[in-house]
Amino acid sequence: MSDLTSAAAEPADAAEPATSARDGERQRFILEDTGFDEVPKKYRRFYRKWKGPGDRLAPNEVICPVCKVVIRSSRTLLPGDRVYCMPCMSRLVVVRNDATGELEGLVAY
Amino acid sequence: MDIHDLDPETFLEEVHSFEFWFQAVEGYLSGTTWGHRPDAVETPMSEPDRDRLITVLCNYCVGEAAALEGASGLIAIAPNRLAKVFLSTQVADEGRHLEVFYHRMRDLGVGDPEREVERRASPSLQTFRRRLLELVASRDWEAAIFAQNVILESLEFAVFQDHARTADPVTADVLRGVVKDERRHIGFGENELGRRVATAPHIRARIGQIKNELDHLVLEALEETTRHLGMPRTDHERLGRAYLESVERLGLVG
Repeated sequence: MSDLTSAAAEPADAAEPATSARDGERQRFILEDTGFDEVPKKYRRFYRKWKGPGDRLAPNEVICPVCKVVIRSSRTLLPGDRVYCMPCMSRLVVVRNDATGELEGLVAY
Repeated sequence: MDIHDLDPETFLEEVHSFEFWFQAVEGYLSGTTWGHRPDAVETPMSEPDRDRLITVLCNYCVGEAAALEGASGLIAIAPNRLAKVFLSTQVADEGRHLEVFYHRMRDLGVGDPEREVERRASPSLQTFRRRLLELVASRDWEAAIFAQNVILESLEFAVFQDHARTADPVTADVLRGVVKDERRHIGFGENELGRRVATAPHIRARIGQIKNELDHLVLEALEETTRHLGMPRTDHERLGRAYLESVERLGLVG
């Protein structure tokens, strides 16, 4: 198990799939509270603020296209995964942007 | 447990509850006074800057009053319990926003904020408010939700976020708290409409009409506000982008 704090401090290149994901297994992350205070305490570790264009996402993170909060999962995200943005109450499907190679959240109404 | 493993119904039930709202707002409003931390300090402000800020706050008050009256009226025509409960939390949010903006004006030395709002508020925004309330009164759920929670809320969300970066410490703190509430409101609007359009595509044409009729009013008010805040025109266009992205996701472009 690796700690997301270290993963967030030195995130893998978002354009490259995580090694473990390439090997067919997902890396697990221990999520810690990042100070995000817009959801009840028990859910706070699943979200963090986006710091702007220079903010690189870890392999277990994706940005909510509706409210721009970073959504975090306890495992590496892959296309087809479903995640929830609690701050804006959206359900998202993770997809890979063909142009950039990066993972994105697509709103699933 | 990973939150993302919840089934969709459980997730929707959770985030539309008063219980969720109580615990969410407790996180960022607990310990605040009139929407800001008690230790946020007033900084010296020139008279022209103070005057421009008051005009901007007057426009914010019109937007918040529109959303307060709109959201409270929409509870009666909301199609299900979850939407009714969510809107009741939105009413509480909007009432708080109106209160903290009025209080901020009093802090700035405005003796009669109501009168000042009437005197200074953007005519476009006042027209928008009137039309929104007409849509609510005519029980047009989709049109009213689009006008209120997509057009109005997404533009407020963008403007408040930007303004908080350059505002004096007290106003910035007030705005940051409001933005955190607005996140829920924009999400509710887009998701509610997205679900409706998915099951009844003919609604899209009706919402498109409302878009063409109303969004220029809020965009005009946005332009006026950014001018008062001293932002360049490029910023005005950037601020409108969040709204346009939402419209695009809902398939309302063109």
